[in-house]
Amino acid sequence: MKIRDISRMAWDQVKRRKVVTGLCMTGISIGCAAIIVALSIGQSAQTYVTDEVNRNFKMDEITVTPGGGIPSQGGGSGGAAQNNENLDPGKLTAQKLEIIKSLNHVVAAAPFEDAGYMQMLTVDNKIADVQVKATDLRTLKEFGFKFKQGGVTDLPGMVVLNYGATLGLIDNETRQKLYEQMGADPFNSDLMNQYNSLSVLPSEMYRQQVQLQATDYSTAEGKVKLSSALQVGGILATAEGTDDLRASYEKIMYVSLETAAMLTEQLSFGINNGMSPNVEENSYKTVTVKVDSTDNIKSVEAMIQKLNLNAMDNLYQQEMLKEQFDMIKMAALGIGVFILVIASISIIVAMTMSTHQRRRQIGIMKVLGANMGQIRNMFITEAALLGLLGGLLGVLFSYLIIMGLNKLVGTAGDSLNFFIPLTTIPVGLAFAIMTGVLSGIYPAISASRTDALTAIKRD
Amino acid sequence: MLRVENIKHSFKTGNEWTTVLHDINFTVNKGEMVALLGSSGSGKSTMLNLMAGLMKPTEGHIYIAGHDIVQMGENKLAEFRRKHIGFIFQAYELITSLTVRENVELPLVFQSVSPSVRKQKALALLEQVGIPDKADLFPSQLSGGQQQRVSIARSLITEPSVIFADEPTGNLDTRTEEEIIAILLKLNQTLKTTFIVVTHELEVAEQMQRTFSLRDGYLINNPPAAADAKSAEGGTG
Repeated sequence: MKIRDISRMAWDQVKRRKVVTGLCMTGISIGCAAIIVALSIGQSAQTYVTDEVNRNFKMDEITVTPGGGIPSQGGGSGGAAQNNENLDPGKLTAQKLEIIKSLNHVVAAAPFEDAGYMQMLTVDNKIADVQVKATDLRTLKEFGFKFKQGGVTDLPGMVVLNYGATLGLIDNETRQKLYEQMGADPFNSDLMNQYNSLSVLPSEMYRQQVQLQATDYSTAEGKVKLSSALQVGGILATAEGTDDLRASYEKIMYVSLETAAMLTEQLSFGINNGMSPNVEENSYKTVTVKVDSTDNIKSVEAMIQKLNLNAMDNLYQQEMLKEQFDMIKMAALGIGVFILVIASISIIVAMTMSTHQRRRQIGIMKVLGANMGQIRNMFITEAALLGLLGGLLGVLFSYLIIMGLNKLVGTAGDSLNFFIPLTTIPVGLAFAIMTGVLSGIYPAISASRTDALTAIKRD
Repeated sequence: MLRVENIKHSFKTGNEWTTVLHDINFTVNKGEMVALLGSSGSGKSTMLNLMAGLMKPTEGHIYIAGHDIVQMGENKLAEFRRKHIGFIFQAYELITSLTVRENVELPLVFQSVSPSVRKQKALALLEQVGIPDKADLFPSQLSGGQQQRVSIARSLITEPSVIFADEPTGNLDTRTEEEIIAILLKLNQTLKTTFIVVTHELEVAEQMQRTFSLRDGYLINNPPAAADAKSAEGGTG
């Protein structure tokens, strides 16, 4: 019996037995949709979280800190003994930085010293809290930063701001007033909206003069020191897909190591209160290394560790996430398969009913020469066809469900976007067809064993 | 062509065995058209089912085209039926979801014959049974006589060695009955196909070349074939 004939006969039955077809398709489509939606949600969430992690933790970078067997204070505390590398083999020195730069697969390496948060004042008395990072400004481009305005400069007193640092600059008086009002009426949505709109209000900062202000919180009067004037030599562009509100959460001022040393001198209160930059010449607390590919991270890390330094990457974040999402996806798949198993019961019942109703027809076919295998194949093909149709309906349902979910999430203002990865569609369809075939086996065997004589006998 | 040897068939009812056929022996030659006549309960339908391989006899052998069908397993029997046996049912037994032409083609579908050959053969047979214009209709759109013609065409499509007709006129009025018998006689003459017609009507049986009569499971009339009778006469004379 030709496949074409079997398929055509199966299709005729599927068209003819609308109730059975409807019942089976409904069951299978729900199961198939459950699998596709569950896998899609898992995949969408994974993509979303991975993007977020990648945005916050650069996967192709290694953070190098002083290491080795002898306890090291890094470059932070100074002291003649610590400047001698022989006495502190774990020290992160300029020479070691040069070695790291020369390693294979290293794209860029530079110190990124976190100098803490300080207030940035503009010439028109606007104020913003910025995180100050001391680095080799010439390497910013090598680290993948793009300039929105200006460019690399290493002149003393020149700084580079990220885009977020140009947003939400408000004069001190207005800011204090708004804070007070919000403190007095924390649930006032108008005030919240006003605050939000001010937070993303852009200011033209390129080539502007700014100053940093440090406050000594150890004294009751809160003594304040102002740095000398700094000039904004460049504005960095935001990462792709980052909106202004998100950008406004991260305000960073990049300064050169020389400028950082100057600021240390100008803003120091004699104690390290964590609010002033403190950079020692020729040794660093933290160096960031950019590698050409995440595949080479581990090998570069191993080389760095040979220099008696600590090296830490962010890959564990991805691995941790992968493990978690693999578990979520397996659980989702399990739920979908469970629904399909339940659905398969409906198919077995419907197909068995159908077999019983068609006993006479099966009997006639057997008398006309159909053997057990041909009858069985006809029923299994019919079940597979029901599975395929149910699966296709399930795919349609999945798209509708995902559309609905996106609308729901969209109205909640979240940037999470659900999507159906194309690979989940064949998975869903395969499960649907497999369910159809497996559910059709018992009815098919039952049909093939129908006794022709009993079936065609009329009372 | 068809030889029935020492057939005995019994079935169990409770603890007792009831014998419905007792030591049946007869032979049908190729191209013959014979009747198996008997009243209700005579065992004629059981005999038909045994000859068609739908049942196994308790004892004995049935040879069709030289093959003992009693020894065959279910799948081999299915294959044998497909090639050597045609069926005409009292209630036509057409598949309602298929068109007339598709119904006629059905036995060839199980033989994996190509659609174009099937179609050609089916249309030719519909022409022979006198309903060439009904090919694309469904069985429900036909009269009883027309449905029986479709059933006859279907039985012939595999060019079988023998066709079993189980009360082929049982559901028809007298005029249609005559038409159907006329078609069967004509086909027997033109195609030389062997027909075994099971009937309880003497008028139908009388039109056949020979009639085997069954009563209470015994073969009470086993006339020799015309050729055999002639040679017997020659031998004695």
